[in-house]
Amino acid sequence: MNVISNHPINCTIALAALEQVNDPELGLNVVDLGLIYQVDFDEAGNRIYVRMTLTTQFCPMGETLVAAVQRALEATFNGREVEVELSFDPPWNYERISERGKDFLNR
Amino acid sequence: MSTAFPKAHFRHTAASAVVPFYLYAAFSFLISAALLLVNSPAFREHYFHPHTLALTHLMALGWGTMVILGASHQLVPVLTERPLYSMRLAHLSFILAALGIPLLVYGFYVFDMGWPAKWGGRLILLSVLVYLVNLLKSTGRGREMNVHAVFIITATGWLFLTAFLGLTLVYNFTYPFLPKETLEYLPLHAHAGILGWFLLLVTGVGSRLIPMFLISKYQHNRLLWVIYAGINGGLLLYLLSFFIFPGLPFMYPGAVILISFGLFVFYLSGVYRARIRKQVDEPMKVSLLSVAMMLLPILLLLLLAGWRYSGTTHARYTLLYGFVIFFGWITAIILGMTFKTLPFIIWNKIYHEKAGRVKTPNPKDLYSEMLFNAMALTYLAGFLCAGAGIFGEGWLLLRLGAGLLLLSAILYNLNIWKTCLHKPLV
Repeated sequence: MNVISNHPINCTIALAALEQVNDPELGLNVVDLGLIYQVDFDEAGNRIYVRMTLTTQFCPMGETLVAAVQRALEATFNGREVEVELSFDPPWNYERISERGKDFLNR
Repeated sequence: MSTAFPKAHFRHTAASAVVPFYLYAAFSFLISAALLLVNSPAFREHYFHPHTLALTHLMALGWGTMVILGASHQLVPVLTERPLYSMRLAHLSFILAALGIPLLVYGFYVFDMGWPAKWGGRLILLSVLVYLVNLLKSTGRGREMNVHAVFIITATGWLFLTAFLGLTLVYNFTYPFLPKETLEYLPLHAHAGILGWFLLLVTGVGSRLIPMFLISKYQHNRLLWVIYAGINGGLLLYLLSFFIFPGLPFMYPGAVILISFGLFVFYLSGVYRARIRKQVDEPMKVSLLSVAMMLLPILLLLLLAGWRYSGTTHARYTLLYGFVIFFGWITAIILGMTFKTLPFIIWNKIYHEKAGRVKTPNPKDLYSEMLFNAMALTYLAGFLCAGAGIFGEGWLLLRLGAGLLLLSAILYNLNIWKTCLHKPLV
């Protein structure tokens, strides 16, 4: 679970917010599932850019997850514009699940 | 606020292309279980009994095929990584099948091969054709073919052939034109449907969905291609033995199918061992149980092909063969997979706008786990009782089993209506 960011402090806040967004099938949040690739903040401080993926292209929950990520960040960083880009390069793989996520799934 | 992504990724199948199929299938299962209870005396006679034919077609088309068609409208985009081509075609295939199935079943029940059976057969064939066009358009051309998509397309081709042959046989009753008796073509019609449609589709879809639900690292596309070749090869060998080499023992194609099934089990055991998600939920357990239940009809088929039984014993074992396929393997996989798919479709419809804003329930909270467990228990008990009843000519046991299966069908219907009528909690 490596997330690229140009602003480590804000990124930590963003990831904490995204930990409230769960994959409905697994009950695991999108951060521990390794779906978030990048969270950048522009210098003026009014835009957030997120690059994320899905466990599979055409995931039936894809649209819902992307919208949920966007809403969670808008609620945390009030007034900022949130841009979410969906990327499959590289495609998601099981190695992206965090240790905490693996523990959760192993329960 | 904005999002940047390929729009095509989010052209999801609307619930209206899926849910009506599930509801129709659930009702068909209920009627089938009731027919099994009411008409169980028909099971003492030859399998070519009008009531048995009606029940078999209601189970195969109204239950098994309808739920698969509906689920595949949701799953095809996941499997092929392309959106569903047309919602209108999805709706049209539902309407045609929904009208055709009761007509065909009624035609068999009263054994009137006139307009009810003929129109039923025509409408069903048209429905399959519409579905096939939608599928082919959805998978598209010019890209490397995905093994799962090839499984589904080929399976639908076999379904079309099955429906075509079925309609031909209906015509042959009133205007005999085929060189052999209608009854002699029945195994061909049945196996094109059972192996070509159901087995090929279940292996193709299961090999994708089971690793997804278990989050398994295991991948073995080459093995899947071998399984694909094995099932189709076995079926083609059977066709050859029917039309060109009538002396070829049925054991040969049967053995090829059995080996392919063994390889599928090997594939699934690899998936299961390499799973990251250790806890397996109840619907998944029932789905996995259905894989084991696939072994029963294959073994029965080999028994029927390898041993010479008296006419009545052969007919009874053939009846048991059909029973373990439709009330066993196919019903078990549907009972399990319904609750891995339907709640997600409904959840997505209701909570799509709310996720990320407020805490939403999980899709599994949309159905009752208690009803599911009661359904699974009554189903298993009913299947075992009715199966043992047919096997040992214990007709009271068959009735008891049919009663339990009816109870299971009622519980299933209650649970899917509970899911479909879910009111937003937040």
